Amino acid sequence: MANVISEVSGSVWKVLVAVGDAVEEDQEIAILESMKMEIPVLAPCAGTIAELRMEVGAPVGEGDVIAVVGQ
Amino acid sequence: MPYEEILVDYDERKTRALAMGGEAKLEKRRSQGVLNARERLDILLDPGTFEESGLFAVSHRKEVADKTPADGKIAGYGKVRARKVAVVANDFTVMGASSSVVNGKKIRHMREVATKNGLPLIFLGESTGARMPDRMGAEGRAILGQDPYEYRRLRETPWVSALLGACYGSSTWYACLSDFVVMRKGATMAVASGRVTSKAIRQEVDSEELGGWQMHTQYTGLVDALVDSDEEAIETVKKWLSYFPSNQNEPAPHQPPAADSVPDTGAILDYVPIDSNKVYDVRKAINCVVDRDSTMELKARFGRSICTMMARLDGHPVGILASNPMFKGGAIDVDACNKAISFLVLCDSFNIPLVFLVDQPGFLIGIEGERRAAPGRIMNWMNAISLVTVPKISVIMRKSYGQAYLNMGGGRNSDEVLCWPTADLGFMAPGVGANVLFGVNEQDDPVRYRELVAQLSKDTSAWGLAALYETHAVIDPRDTRAHLIRLLDIHRGAQGRRIGQHLLSSWPTTY
Repeated sequence: MANVISEVSGSVWKVLVAVGDAVEEDQEIAILESMKMEIPVLAPCAGTIAELRMEVGAPVGEGDVIAVVGQ
Repeated sequence: MPYEEILVDYDERKTRALAMGGEAKLEKRRSQGVLNARERLDILLDPGTFEESGLFAVSHRKEVADKTPADGKIAGYGKVRARKVAVVANDFTVMGASSSVVNGKKIRHMREVATKNGLPLIFLGESTGARMPDRMGAEGRAILGQDPYEYRRLRETPWVSALLGACYGSSTWYACLSDFVVMRKGATMAVASGRVTSKAIRQEVDSEELGGWQMHTQYTGLVDALVDSDEEAIETVKKWLSYFPSNQNEPAPHQPPAADSVPDTGAILDYVPIDSNKVYDVRKAINCVVDRDSTMELKARFGRSICTMMARLDGHPVGILASNPMFKGGAIDVDACNKAISFLVLCDSFNIPLVFLVDQPGFLIGIEGERRAAPGRIMNWMNAISLVTVPKISVIMRKSYGQAYLNMGGGRNSDEVLCWPTADLGFMAPGVGANVLFGVNEQDDPVRYRELVAQLSKDTSAWGLAALYETHAVIDPRDTRAHLIRLLDIHRGAQGRRIGQHLLSSWPTTY
């Protein structure tokens, strides 16, 4: 299991995957909005999305776990 | 004693000294795939160039004199790619290369000779810290702190450290005083070992977690480069040295560029999106500007919204300080500030011109940054940039907002400021400006909002800056390389030899 951490405080603009989806390492799984920039969130490793802990439009904090990738 | 016997005795003494900590310990290292100190020197130095200093030095304590060949720190001079250097290689097989009276004298001599003669100083680190019982009690105090210049850095010559094992005590301190630090995965660096730390704070602490590569490449920024093996670490040291002069009084070394060194300069348009809210990895853009295969990124995993890179332009070393929108949208956080400051100090100290590639939405604002003294770091950066005396050229590729416009070399903070036609010099993003300045947001009054965004965008274009001569040229992005080469040549001066004033060379080594 690997945690996906938000590197900035901002809000969730798009979620690009659903629980159960297979992902590759460095695949974009969501896009955050902060400092007027669209900031991609990348999968830290290949695997399957086990949890999504973010909602479109909702705020996230720096360091928050926003998803979990399972093997 | 006749000469024959004297020479036999000499050879026997030499053989004992070269045996280091003994075959059992050396064999154990071999089985772990780790080089010993002399093997490391063999691959660091050009063949046949090692001139050892202190082979017959041993501990001043009689009871361990015969088990401390070279007193655990092998020192001397040699050549790296035909350039003279001084070196200290820690021999972990001899009392863990712990710090002692005699090997302290060896380090001091290397430091003094390197400084006096303008040679880089290289530390191959792996050491346990203070030797016991030497350092205990009042007698221990009497051997500590006897050299008031032991920790004074004026950067007369470059210092380089390789962290190649457990590094505590001198290997840690010298790494933290160095201009470049490379770490092998599996090596550790900390104030004290995991074992000592666990006892002191009464918590189990793992050495790797305490001072492994993740700690120093991601969180502290104390390590500039990460590698997998001793051999790769030493190759990385050689590569880093290739960008730097041997001392402050020499220009950065020019290497005639290879015939195929010109990159695909047109591809830069493919990598940098026109929509300035879209992110990209600036390293791809840099590769369209500098000589092909000439880059070496420093602190790649730390403060990543700023990318710091050594590179060459037409064979001349340059320091690239670039925004990287790929991380945090290019917003500059405290780690990125500290990384930028350390890079300014490095380049200014060793006559390396600076190129800023700018695309940043401002400093990353928020409670976390304030807690870490962001305003102080931002002004420290401004203080540093105003003390830089090597040539500086700033290229504004897309956005450059707020105070960070100045930190990234805007205004008179660079010798030349160039803009791409896509440059956007607002104090903040036009949409945010419409809201903050005029109280208009998109939802309530979309027509007025769009008008204001258009108006604010127009005022902040490259053309507005060019009309006021606040940018010296608006350039075709594909010609960035050509402009930089010509302008750096101008700013190197008539003799083509630029030695800075090194006003930053006494700045601290850690930020």
